[in-house]
Amino acid sequence: MSDEQIKLIEKAVANALAGDMDAINDIEDRVTRSKAKAALVKAKRLAKATTPAEDPSNTDELKVGDSAPTEKSLSEKVAACLNEKFPNSLEAEDVNGHIQMKGKNWFKIAQYLRDNPDFLFDSLQCVTGYDFGEGEDLEVRYNLHSMTHNHTIEIRIKTDRNNPKVPSVEQVWRIGDWFERETFDMYGIEFEGHSNMIRILCPEDWEGWPLRKDYETQETYHGIVVPKVKDGWE
Amino acid sequence: MTVDQLINWLPFGTDWPVITFLTAVIICALPVFLFIAVYALVAIYGEVKISSFMADKVGPMGQGVGFHAGKWGLLQPVADALKLILKEDIIPAAADKKLFIMAPFVVFIGAFISFAALPFGQNTIIADMNIGIFYILAVGSLSVIGIILAGWSSNNKWSLYGGMRSAAQIVSYEIPAGLSIISIIMLTETLSMQGINEFQQGTIWGILPNWIIFNNPFSFIAFFIFFISGVAECNRTPFDIPEAESELVAGAFTEYSGMRYAFFFLSEYAEMFVVSGVSATAFLGGWNSPISGFFDSPGWGVFWFMGKTLSLVFVMIWFRWTFPRLRVDQLMSICWKVFLPFSLLNIFGVGIWSLLVG
Amino acid sequence: MGVVHGDLMTLNIGPQHPSTHGVLRLKVKTDGEIISEVEPIIGYLHRCFEKHCENVTYEQVIPYTDRCDYIAAMNNNFGYAVTVEELMEIKVPERVEYIRVIVAELNRIASHLLALGAYGLDVGAFTPFLYMFRDRERILDLFETLCGARLLYNYIWVGGVSHDLPPGFIGAVYSFLDYFEPKIEEYNELLTYNKIFIERTGDVGVMPPEVAVSYGVTGPNLRGSGVKWDIRKDEPYSIYDKFDFDIPVGAGEMGTVGDCWDRYYVRMVEMKESVKITRQALKGIPAGDVHQALPKKIRPPQGSIYKRTESPRGDLAYYIVSDGSPIPYRLKMRSPAFTALSVLSEISQGWMMSDVLAILGSLDIVLGEIDR
Repeated sequence: MSDEQIKLIEKAVANALAGDMDAINDIEDRVTRSKAKAALVKAKRLAKATTPAEDPSNTDELKVGDSAPTEKSLSEKVAACLNEKFPNSLEAEDVNGHIQMKGKNWFKIAQYLRDNPDFLFDSLQCVTGYDFGEGEDLEVRYNLHSMTHNHTIEIRIKTDRNNPKVPSVEQVWRIGDWFERETFDMYGIEFEGHSNMIRILCPEDWEGWPLRKDYETQETYHGIVVPKVKDGWE
Repeated sequence: MTVDQLINWLPFGTDWPVITFLTAVIICALPVFLFIAVYALVAIYGEVKISSFMADKVGPMGQGVGFHAGKWGLLQPVADALKLILKEDIIPAAADKKLFIMAPFVVFIGAFISFAALPFGQNTIIADMNIGIFYILAVGSLSVIGIILAGWSSNNKWSLYGGMRSAAQIVSYEIPAGLSIISIIMLTETLSMQGINEFQQGTIWGILPNWIIFNNPFSFIAFFIFFISGVAECNRTPFDIPEAESELVAGAFTEYSGMRYAFFFLSEYAEMFVVSGVSATAFLGGWNSPISGFFDSPGWGVFWFMGKTLSLVFVMIWFRWTFPRLRVDQLMSICWKVFLPFSLLNIFGVGIWSLLVG
Repeated sequence: MGVVHGDLMTLNIGPQHPSTHGVLRLKVKTDGEIISEVEPIIGYLHRCFEKHCENVTYEQVIPYTDRCDYIAAMNNNFGYAVTVEELMEIKVPERVEYIRVIVAELNRIASHLLALGAYGLDVGAFTPFLYMFRDRERILDLFETLCGARLLYNYIWVGGVSHDLPPGFIGAVYSFLDYFEPKIEEYNELLTYNKIFIERTGDVGVMPPEVAVSYGVTGPNLRGSGVKWDIRKDEPYSIYDKFDFDIPVGAGEMGTVGDCWDRYYVRMVEMKESVKITRQALKGIPAGDVHQALPKKIRPPQGSIYKRTESPRGDLAYYIVSDGSPIPYRLKMRSPAFTALSVLSEISQGWMMSDVLAILGSLDIVLGEIDR
């Protein structure tokens, strides 16, 4: 690598860390661009190791769904109701579009949400796993929907990275079976009470949790060499 | 030319009876064997082309006369046959070798020896037995053994499924077929194939040919029962659950490749011909011409028989490309709950009709 | 009294099988012909779509979405574009909206044709399959004149579409619609009301509405069970609220509500409705520049969004979390076929071997979408 290139990469990375990705994206030469991206990833990793990362999605302002005022009041209503019935199970007091919950009473809360005639969330739309970054917590996000009232809500449950456990809602919404298996497969979050917690998309004896931000693919699988995805590939 | 006539005609008949017999048999059987081979090629070609017309495809083209973009694709079945002969012969390692090799032959024998009693024309029949039709029905069920052998010896659960289903199906559908034949035998009073054909000479009321199908309403129904049971015995759609492509790949024949598979294929078409031939003889007049008195010389007889049989084969091909497939329990319930009672009724009906009217 | 002791036979259907609509493995435990348990095993087509999306920019994600549900690729693109546009609060011009609806509905027709044709093939009817593919080819030819690709389009971009309609396209679509509408009657005669087909599919694989909702089944599968739910009507996106169309619902005409025949019939009627929508869209399409609202660089503000659209298989949703950079931080695709396949083990208990494949065909799954 020539000195010019090194300088260019350093400048581009510095700009990108400040928030302007154009510097990197405008580099003409493919090889240099990919090296710059790799350097950026490394730099970000170092930066995260020193400063705690900010959760990107907590600052959203009601981007969920389309009817903003009703969403707010729905989440607040639900939060208020849950605070009454299941005290001390909500993580955060203010709700802006989603409800942050502690994991311990989740199964009972899920049943309550499904059966309560005001809410009737009878359809679990989506279960997403979420990784805050290397060394940070993991989170599970549930999108619930009611067929009768036609309203939606999002529930988030944070869990520790080294021992992620969340109660399973397989018995409440039957689709929880496969969705939770998928989240387990990708993030390694164990759902307590699940009847068949095995991987669903990856082979059963695969090592590692693919969608985590610090995932490294294993070297070989049954003797087959696993090709590495290069950092900053295009 | 029957085998009997040939034996009488050969000069060394009384001196070496065994050799005479064998020579006569070979002389009579060879044309039939060649006929089956040619007919199979024609039937395969017909099936592919007819299906393409029905299904809005183009089918085989190009390998026609002249070897350039022709519209006929006449060499397609030849190419098919060559391909099957030249394929590698794979026998699964865990298969039961002896049974695996024996199965195609048993199926083929079952289909082939029924040709001995088919009346191609007034004088063109290999063995004019006086129990002709009974012989055909009996011998036609030999192929079941072959299919079960194929299903079992492949050491493959899917083949086993196919073999079992096929056995159940063929054995069940023998019964309505046999009963329908009984109902017409009451009219003809003879089991011999030529006798049945001779019964259908002449006309009814001067215009309709004296075919058994027009004889009385019960035999009309018997024709349909017999024909549909025959389709079921050949494992053709809508009764092709044993070789249901989308479920069992090829059913009992999944593990067979090359020439062995060709044998199964060949025997299926041969059986189609036999079933159509028997339907044509028993119900549609066999080698009798539809316009009685005209075109009924022995040469024309072969033409009429082949015409009727091949039209019924065409109808079988037509079925395949129109109907979906029946599920196993549905086809069994059709056989036992619908065809069987109706064929029993037919026997009574024909009997009573003959007493009262005939 | 002696007791006959039988054992359950474990069979394996697939992953290579003519009937499993892709690489799907079904572990089946049977007692003779009666099924006691079916377990679908997936993951043979897993291509790490979500991990890829965390490494490429928002524009580069669009070809990846094509390849998930490769039969209805336009609808995948559509869902993704609508989601990101809502996150970024982009308003696309009217012409783009109309074009998107037209191609999405044409793709819905093509997808249903394939689903129904393949279903006929599973049940043993060879000819409807070929007829439906012939008509599907016409739609694919239209798409080829539009964007150059027959199956994977990369056409609907965030903020617009990649190419404007070529001259003569609208006329070609009109003539296709005129040719296609009577064909639906032909298919009904050939297959839908055929006695053998009704016997194979009526009353088979009944899915009660509560089971369907609990398993997250959406789309024609849910409508076949009698639940009138269609995102185009109940949570309209794009300009679907401007069009007048009905939502067909299964009514148990040939058996129980929620059987395979109902699901098949709902798809058949949906094709008619798509033709209606396309005609209305063609009539009302305005002039304009389709590239007007394409953003120079897609860098959505920080936030998360969950948006649902109606793909031919059901409820396709994207959950996107953005951290302000041009690369998505987390992108999850919620595919309708994933939930449809999960209900297979529940509704196929007690049926026979051939029925399992009939039920699987009626659920209309695409493995690319399930495995991603």
